[in-house]
Amino acid sequence: MKKISRRAPRPAGEAADSEAGRYKKLYSMLLDASPSSVLLIDSQMRVVSANRNFLEKAHRSEVETVGQRIDAVFPPAIAQQMDLTGLVRAAFEHNRPTRGERIAYRAPGLATRTYYYRLIPFSWQGAIEHVMLLLEDVTEQVRLGEENRRVERHLASVVESASDIVLSTTVDGRILTWNAAAERISGFTLSEVDTRTFFDLCAEPHRARARRGFETVKRGKGFGVAEWDLVTKSGALVPVSWVGSVMKNDRARVVAVVAVGRDLTERRKFEAHLLQSQKLAALGLLAGGIAHEIRNPLSIASSAAQFLSEEPEDPEFRRECTAKILTGIQRASRIIENLLHFARPAGQPDMVRVDLVRIVRDAAMLAATQAGIQQVNMEFELPDDPVLVSGVPGLLQQLFINLFLNALGAMPGGGSLRATLDRAGAEVRVRITDTGCGIPASEIERIFDPFYTTRPMGKGTGLGLSICYSIVRQHFGVIDGESVEGRGSTFTVKLPLLNEGVVGE
Amino acid sequence: MIRNGAADILIVDDEPDICWALTHILKGMGIVPVTTTSGREALRLARSQRFALAFVDAKLPDLDGLDLARRIREGDAAVRIVLVSGYFYRDDAEVRQAMAAGLITDFVSKPIPHEEIQAIASGVVSR
Repeated sequence: MKKISRRAPRPAGEAADSEAGRYKKLYSMLLDASPSSVLLIDSQMRVVSANRNFLEKAHRSEVETVGQRIDAVFPPAIAQQMDLTGLVRAAFEHNRPTRGERIAYRAPGLATRTYYYRLIPFSWQGAIEHVMLLLEDVTEQVRLGEENRRVERHLASVVESASDIVLSTTVDGRILTWNAAAERISGFTLSEVDTRTFFDLCAEPHRARARRGFETVKRGKGFGVAEWDLVTKSGALVPVSWVGSVMKNDRARVVAVVAVGRDLTERRKFEAHLLQSQKLAALGLLAGGIAHEIRNPLSIASSAAQFLSEEPEDPEFRRECTAKILTGIQRASRIIENLLHFARPAGQPDMVRVDLVRIVRDAAMLAATQAGIQQVNMEFELPDDPVLVSGVPGLLQQLFINLFLNALGAMPGGGSLRATLDRAGAEVRVRITDTGCGIPASEIERIFDPFYTTRPMGKGTGLGLSICYSIVRQHFGVIDGESVEGRGSTFTVKLPLLNEGVVGE
Repeated sequence: MIRNGAADILIVDDEPDICWALTHILKGMGIVPVTTTSGREALRLARSQRFALAFVDAKLPDLDGLDLARRIREGDAAVRIVLVSGYFYRDDAEVRQAMAAGLITDFVSKPIPHEEIQAIASGVVSR
């Protein structure tokens, strides 16, 4: 600015000219800087001006271009395809800009390029002076757009052809997308669920848990792995294992939740078979102890009957014999009852209110028969009042019988087995400690793997602890094992205490 | 034949009613046995007095029956030891081995047939 003020004053006419010149310069600078081609065409179809971009793209000089008819400037294929002269004429006639159009052109020996073009009439004081032709090479944008759509289609087909449910929701759980597997498994189409939330689709007992899972989403973390049943359109329940992760935008803000769900129906069937076979294997281990346990009361009853058959004279002794027979039979039948209870398939794995103290005590009763013949001293520290959890009684009993039998299996030469049950915060903790052979530190990582066993062939299936693990998981609990080789092992099961306030959750 | 008051038969079973049954069988023969429900107590008794016959339960909570038999035998080579069990069968390998080794002289399975006990006891009594 200071430079200008220092210039010598100029005559008025020159000043106006120089002002116009200044605008012209600015105008041509702007035009030349534009990444689009800009042409001005007069009503005679002649080029009035062409910007740098056009000249470069067309490989023409300004002299070869300005003043030329447009059909001489453009390759005939383009001019014809666009009907350029027709368009220019129409723009002059109607004084209306055309809508943007696209044209694909392939110069000889080059790849096809796509251009976007638009004609805009320029009028000055009521007369249309020129038509401006804007031409932009959008080949790259088109290519990127197509590439994007191709990737999108590809990803969509991956999602669609997945056998697992893949869905996305808002942060509040409202369903956004829903793949074919989701439709197949649930019976609902996207339009039937897009006004609903993910929690609405979860079965009643799991709904509150799913809702809590989504709380972590708001903190920017996925809900991890969870097993929540899905209610289908027909009202049936499908067990589903979910993995939830969050989708973030460029500013790391959570914008959606992606949930992938696997239908566990088949796996549950398989697990049920596995549980039953493992149970039968556990029964095999219990059989010796049970035979011993049942034959004692049978023997007492039998002896009493043999005495009675000799018709003893002493009425007191006769009464004693009768009482022994009745007690013996009752004892034997109680053992059989407990055994049958355990042997029976779990049936519907419905979660009910369960007193864990009773479960542990019943399991201990079955295991005690085996402990007795192994000179294992069993010690229990159980609360007198019930400790309630939500669970499948048959499975929990199998869990503790497995743990007791494992402990006994580690003490073939006798020892002691100690079980304690206590409440710790919102959980109940059961610790089972043995003084057995222990597990080498190198193997402790593998103890919950299926078929891991230290026992000789035919003595164990190697399924016990892996089944314990799956039972505990199914009850939203944790199991871990600590061991010192040669000293013994401790297994701890932690299960969430039943919160009476939310029984129906 | 019967030494009056001589309790030379020992019964060891952790189940008191099995002791009751065996005692009554023997009482019918005029014998008053010594009974205990503990393996260790049985061992102590066997060391403090001589028994002609011992009925030993195969599975005691504090001591294995065969182990107890071995330890009684160590102190008295002549005692006849009868293994009584609801756990083993007569043809179980462990029972056969123990019989072959002379560790036990007989085996009775539960439920106990009274005539088997009577036959074994009368063999001792009439000796």
